[in-house]
Amino acid sequence: MRSARRLNFNGIVINAAAFVLVLSYALPYVYLLMTSIKPAADVQQIPPSFFPVVISFENFRDVLQSSTLPRAFASSLIVAVLTTILSLAVAVPAAYVATHYRRRITTLFLLFALVTRMVPSVSLGVPLFQLLKSLGLLDTVPGLVLAHTSAAVPLALLLMAAFFEGVPKDLEEAARMDGCTRFQAFLKVILPIMTGGIAVTALFTFITSWNEFLYALLLTSESTKTAPIVIAEYNSVYGLAWGAMTAAAVLYSLPVIIVTLALQKQIVGGLTFGAVKG
Amino acid sequence: MSGEDRFVLCMLAPALAILGLLVAYPVGLLVFDSFFKVDTITPHIREWIGLKNYIDALTSKRVAESAFRTIQYSIFALFFEFTFGFCAALLFTALPGQSRWHRTIFTLPLMVPPIVAGLLWRFLLVGNIGILNYGLLHLGVISDPDAIAWLSDEDIVIYSVSFADIWLTTSFVALVSYAGLTNIPKDLLEAARIDGANAFKRFWHVTLPLMRPVIAVVVIVRGVDAAKTFDLIWIQTQGGPNHASEVFSMNIYQRMVRFGDLGEASASGTLFLIVMMALAAAAYWKIWRPVHA
Repeated sequence: MRSARRLNFNGIVINAAAFVLVLSYALPYVYLLMTSIKPAADVQQIPPSFFPVVISFENFRDVLQSSTLPRAFASSLIVAVLTTILSLAVAVPAAYVATHYRRRITTLFLLFALVTRMVPSVSLGVPLFQLLKSLGLLDTVPGLVLAHTSAAVPLALLLMAAFFEGVPKDLEEAARMDGCTRFQAFLKVILPIMTGGIAVTALFTFITSWNEFLYALLLTSESTKTAPIVIAEYNSVYGLAWGAMTAAAVLYSLPVIIVTLALQKQIVGGLTFGAVKG
Repeated sequence: MSGEDRFVLCMLAPALAILGLLVAYPVGLLVFDSFFKVDTITPHIREWIGLKNYIDALTSKRVAESAFRTIQYSIFALFFEFTFGFCAALLFTALPGQSRWHRTIFTLPLMVPPIVAGLLWRFLLVGNIGILNYGLLHLGVISDPDAIAWLSDEDIVIYSVSFADIWLTTSFVALVSYAGLTNIPKDLLEAARIDGANAFKRFWHVTLPLMRPVIAVVVIVRGVDAAKTFDLIWIQTQGGPNHASEVFSMNIYQRMVRFGDLGEASASGTLFLIVMMALAAAAYWKIWRPVHA
């Protein structure tokens, strides 16, 4: 009886502490959402209020009617999709042989991918700028895709290697017995059972490119500016356009949040795993 | 060459080509350029000057300050991310029943793009409309909403800009730690309890030693990431006021873009790379290998 009551008391304390902790981490983003639906004039009101007095979508209308933001979203989307396709096309086969055909070159290769994750992007950005400039690819979609791919391939490799490690070698051998070549076994037997892992890796690669800022800042100027660059400009070029900024930030982050929440179980597993291994 | 070897090479070749072209070659170019005096803004200058860029970088006061600031920033951010994240993980494991909802909401910042996190925190901290100071005013911590100039006080700005980093990545620490904590065998803790160890002793003598590898991974991964930070700080202050929040990566960026000094930027970029490689090597030897051995 006594112990049950004490357990209950502890439970209440732990629940309360967890509630406060979770709430304090959720609040900043909720404040962003609340601010984005205030009339633009109320955003910078003194003293600030947490909840909107009047709900208005004029911030959203303003950013969507401007010419720059929708174009930047299109640019981000195209670059992220192409980066994802290119990265997966090269990383999936390589991760497969790196995990299923262990030899010195594949071990070195995985180590190289791991080390690449530690390279500061500014260190890579400086020579990439020179390289793309000499190829005439500055401020073009292919140039930006190449830059984003340099960061996305190591991530995709390490994630896919983790997924392939769970696939038994017997599967491939059985397919070989049935007369498949190694490549056919990979294509017809291994790939179809890996769709889940490939989807998670694709989503991660996409988000990495979607969020990328430094390369876009260095390598684009007008025609291919991505969304984060334009959003960042809301707080310099147009003065402090906080209303527009909050609406743009919500539009930019909400799709990723919704997709991630929908696939939460797979994502969180991949995220912790990939990040730890990488 | 056997058919198997040929197959391995064919499958590896595209990735090798991409990483060679987009990582190895640029890194080579970075090191090569670091021995030249290059000016990309005024008409073409490019002359071999040996180690002069390195000597300039290593003796420049502003470079040294930005390097020191990177360390300040990384240690401060890492300390709080780790403390909050680990405590959150302990709370989640201690929660009676399921902590699924708590964990789901707590993961939210992890999905927010860094640039949005930076803008959001700038908005929370900015002078006169920043809601954080009004919150502190309500709680009676400060007596004037302008009492703390988070982003414009040169003495504290390097710490203020890390709030966004802490907010963004505490949940990463929490998730990884939570995964580690749930892997600790329950009977070990139960045995310690039967032997009369109180909660603190169980934590200190059982949980903590078993969590050592997880803690090491988190500290190294997050430490390296914090040292690389560019976007979060750039969005909040662009390195200001008066360079007080200019970290190393930003210092390199500025010399490259504002001053067009490719040679010096390359030398600093190379130094940065060497330090990060040393950390990565430490990570590999200390953590990755034992797991795979």
